[in-house]
Amino acid sequence: MDPFFAWIENSWLSDWIRGSESLLAFPGIITLHALGLGILAGGSAAIDFRVLGVAPGVSLKAMARFLPVLWTAFVVNAISGTLLLIAYPTKALTNWLFYVKLGLVALAVGLIYRIGVTVLRVPQADEKPVAAPAKLLALASLAAWLAVILAGRFLAYTHKWEMLGVPAIL
Amino acid sequence: MDQIAPWEVWIRATALHAFVQQQEPWLWPLMQSLHYVGGSLLLGTVGLFDLRLLGMAKGVSPAAMHKLIRFGIAGWCLNLMLGIVFFFGHPDQYFYNNSFRLKMLFMTVAGLNILAFYGTDAFVQMKKLPAGAAATTRMKVIAAISLSMWVAILMCGRLITFFRPPFFH
Repeated sequence: MDPFFAWIENSWLSDWIRGSESLLAFPGIITLHALGLGILAGGSAAIDFRVLGVAPGVSLKAMARFLPVLWTAFVVNAISGTLLLIAYPTKALTNWLFYVKLGLVALAVGLIYRIGVTVLRVPQADEKPVAAPAKLLALASLAAWLAVILAGRFLAYTHKWEMLGVPAIL
Repeated sequence: MDQIAPWEVWIRATALHAFVQQQEPWLWPLMQSLHYVGGSLLLGTVGLFDLRLLGMAKGVSPAAMHKLIRFGIAGWCLNLMLGIVFFFGHPDQYFYNNSFRLKMLFMTVAGLNILAFYGTDAFVQMKKLPAGAAATTRMKVIAAISLSMWVAILMCGRLITFFRPPFFH
């Protein structure tokens, strides 16, 4: 095994997250991670739907006030994600899908940040109809979150498939 | 549990059960992903609406924002269907599972709370609430229950796997 991965895996923190019987260890951390993404992806989707024209009576500027909720969820997930990585470094860092997910998260977070800055928090946000490029950003955001969810869920399975061989299990 | 209950024997004889078991390697993670999408839609639309009633982003008109709830309802319907397929695939893993049971209990509370919102004049009052105005105490209580129930439901769903029964049928 990679000495760096081994060093992480032998730390007390990694050992506690993996081995503890406590619900606050691995189960609690992964549950927080799931809740965080639910808020982040779902909240982004709600903003995206508004940008795409659903609920036009909602002020875009006022909608921006929900963004801190999303950033809080992102911080929770950065921390919980790091803890999960400390628990199983080899499993994640030797899986190509992990890097795909990380890239998709960066893309999805970047898109909703951009929507916040260029669509919601602009002086005349509510005075003219939403322009086509902004709607394109919203569509891209929805697609990116869908991809993040798929990558995140399949991450738990591809490791198993790599161990057993995909054809053998399919 | 050595004796399999009659309802479980019936489920295990269905074509749906056989299909899920056969296609499980790819079908299960795909269904889980879609179930997660449904839950996110629900939490994102209903959750933010609840936060508005609780006083966040007061500049948002609650009546206008309520139009987003349809995506939450669509997510819930998707999840009900997927949930039935999950249950048919592995009935014992869900039925004999305290996290699943707690999830169903919270779902019942959320359902009664929905009745308290739409079945009373709380909904009519909400629609009259202009942007910038604070919700009534009753609306806030309903919103707080809704938000905490959906959060708890998502968490219980994620925890199901850690509360699997110690037997396999």
